[in-house]
Amino acid sequence: MSSPEEKELELLIGPQHPASGHMRLVARVDGDVVVELRPNIGYVHRSVEKLAEVKKYLQIIPLVERPSLADTTANNLAYVMALEKLLGIEAPERAKYLRTLLAEINRIHSHLYGLGIHGVMIGSSTAYMWCFGDREPFLELAQELTGARLTYSYIVPGGVRRDLPAGFGERAEKVLRYMENRMKDYFDLYFNNPVVRARLEGVGTLSREDAIRLGVTGPNLRASGVAYDVRRADPYAAYPELEFDVITEEAGDSFARVMVRVREIVESMGIIRQVLRKIPEGPILHENYEKLIPPKTREVMKRKGIIKFPSVFANLRVPAGEAISRVEGGRGEVVFHIVSDGKPSPYRMRMVTPSFRNVILFEHLTKGARVADIPAIYGSLDYFPPEADR
Amino acid sequence: MDSLKLLFEPYIFIPLVFPGLIAAFALLLIIIWLERKIAAKVQLRYGPLYVLKPLGGIIQTVADLLRYLFQEPILPKEVDKVAFLMTPVLLFGLSYLPLVAIPVSPTYYAFRSDVSLLIVLALTTLAPIFTVVMGWASNNKFSLIGGVREGYLVTSYEIPIFLSALSMAILYNSLDLVEIAEAQRGLWGVFLNPIAAINMLLLMYMSTSRFPFEIPEAESEIVAGPYTEYSGIIYGLVMGASYVKLYVLSLVYSILFLGGWNPLPSTDPLVAGAVLFSKAFLLVALGAFLRAVYPRFRIDQAISIGWKIAFPLSLISIIISLLLVMGGVSFVGK
Repeated sequence: MSSPEEKELELLIGPQHPASGHMRLVARVDGDVVVELRPNIGYVHRSVEKLAEVKKYLQIIPLVERPSLADTTANNLAYVMALEKLLGIEAPERAKYLRTLLAEINRIHSHLYGLGIHGVMIGSSTAYMWCFGDREPFLELAQELTGARLTYSYIVPGGVRRDLPAGFGERAEKVLRYMENRMKDYFDLYFNNPVVRARLEGVGTLSREDAIRLGVTGPNLRASGVAYDVRRADPYAAYPELEFDVITEEAGDSFARVMVRVREIVESMGIIRQVLRKIPEGPILHENYEKLIPPKTREVMKRKGIIKFPSVFANLRVPAGEAISRVEGGRGEVVFHIVSDGKPSPYRMRMVTPSFRNVILFEHLTKGARVADIPAIYGSLDYFPPEADR
Repeated sequence: MDSLKLLFEPYIFIPLVFPGLIAAFALLLIIIWLERKIAAKVQLRYGPLYVLKPLGGIIQTVADLLRYLFQEPILPKEVDKVAFLMTPVLLFGLSYLPLVAIPVSPTYYAFRSDVSLLIVLALTTLAPIFTVVMGWASNNKFSLIGGVREGYLVTSYEIPIFLSALSMAILYNSLDLVEIAEAQRGLWGVFLNPIAAINMLLLMYMSTSRFPFEIPEAESEIVAGPYTEYSGIIYGLVMGASYVKLYVLSLVYSILFLGGWNPLPSTDPLVAGAVLFSKAFLLVALGAFLRAVYPRFRIDQAISIGWKIAFPLSLISIIISLLLVMGGVSFVGK
């Protein structure tokens, strides 16, 4: 009789592996069954929190976006909201709606990114190409709104950087209609595919109790039947005035996690429609800052809808104190904690990203799963290694 | 002149030209191009659709081929060198071998045997051994797992594939591929025993690692399975081998179920060969299309399909054949 140690094989998956991302997975397998899988993170550490201590407040905006390239708006928004709390200001209504608009566009293309990666992880290159192809119209919408493709840096203390371009509503409507038609194809070819169902249903089941105990957030939590969404629990931006449902699924398996994200895409499209219908007229920058802009520049700015920042922004001084903010990103709850001592740089900045809280699930869900389930579970978590290694 | 005549002697022409080496190479190129083209249509890809558009993106295939030819073949330090280098060559060579026993028309064949069906099936069964050896020789855990997966799968598809083929042999009372094809002058095998036909089609794609059964070389799980360490043209060989195997099995399938060179009443090898080739081509193209539709199964799911679905189905198909034969239905010697 061989001892258990001899029976087991240690498999080092990643960081150089087609499906591991920038992460190493140390798996011990017994035949085809995973005995233990330990995620080993830290291969793309970006030291954002430490760098933030030597950068000025405004320079940190593009910095916090870097860790989560598919979901930059959530980090941008959460950081600026914490900053606004310290500054004691609030963005004007129109800016709040624009923030919501960008956040929802971002949520859609972040979810499509996750779904595409998940598709290729279980071997469907079609799902991968479709999702990445259909991200494009949303990226272009965001690009039109902000001028950047991925790292928008759109949200600044006191408002947003640009106004809504003319004719944005019609183009957005066109994109939304296209995506709604596309959804049918996705269900026909991918989500209702018997092989996809066989690979995902009942795989990596997370119970409601475990989900709460492990501190999981975002779609992964809602897939286990917990209706927790920061947009509802602690409303911010324009969310209190908008109508939307918190999507939940009961099963808690990989398929439920995928379904939550798919249904959230549909829900987000509804939010975008509401925002475009309800958006009020008015300034997009807080009056304190707007009046610092020279009158002539302000004229041009109002006409073009693009803000040229007042120079005070470069050396923005923030009163001493602490502030915490949280938003619902595409992958879950993003929390920012800023401690200020009155200098142009924060004394300490702390960010809690959803992927870091979700990576703990790996060890939990893969116990007793098959080797082939590792990528299926990995993809369904929508885990993004750089976001954990901030 | 004599040498040209010699070329058209069946025992040279068949292994070399059709359905042999050259046809298989041409099919390989067409199918790789078609696979990329179909996938590009479904998946909104640009490359294969737009490189040299007037020629339908055919240059993409040339680019693929050049890539494999000029990529550096790396020989890792710790591998079993002889096994590592020889197995792809043997695998590729062996996957061609069954072609000699496949007849092109009732009068044109490299060699005729009473048991040519068995010869073809037995020779296709040899190929997985080399895949397992490859996995072992690479001295890599992912390769090893890929090799073991191949081993598992072989046991679950080979038996039903033999039984499905033999159920047709019972029906035609022959193991000779010429007689089997000739017996289908009227009704094709697929209408006589549809269960065997469906079963064998499924197993054919399973045995050649088409989607959704691309399990030994599952990229997202075990990198490329047995072929992880292979690069350059030696990887091109192992990749080509699975296509050739699919081609061989498609030819056999066409003869067993799709009437072979029927329905054209011709004994001219050229016409008969063209009919046979187009049938096999369609089957290979279907296999290439599956890539765009399905993700891959888990190994245990594929094995349970092999044992719980395909194996009983192959037994049922044998029973159907026996009932047909006992019921006095005879397709022999027309």
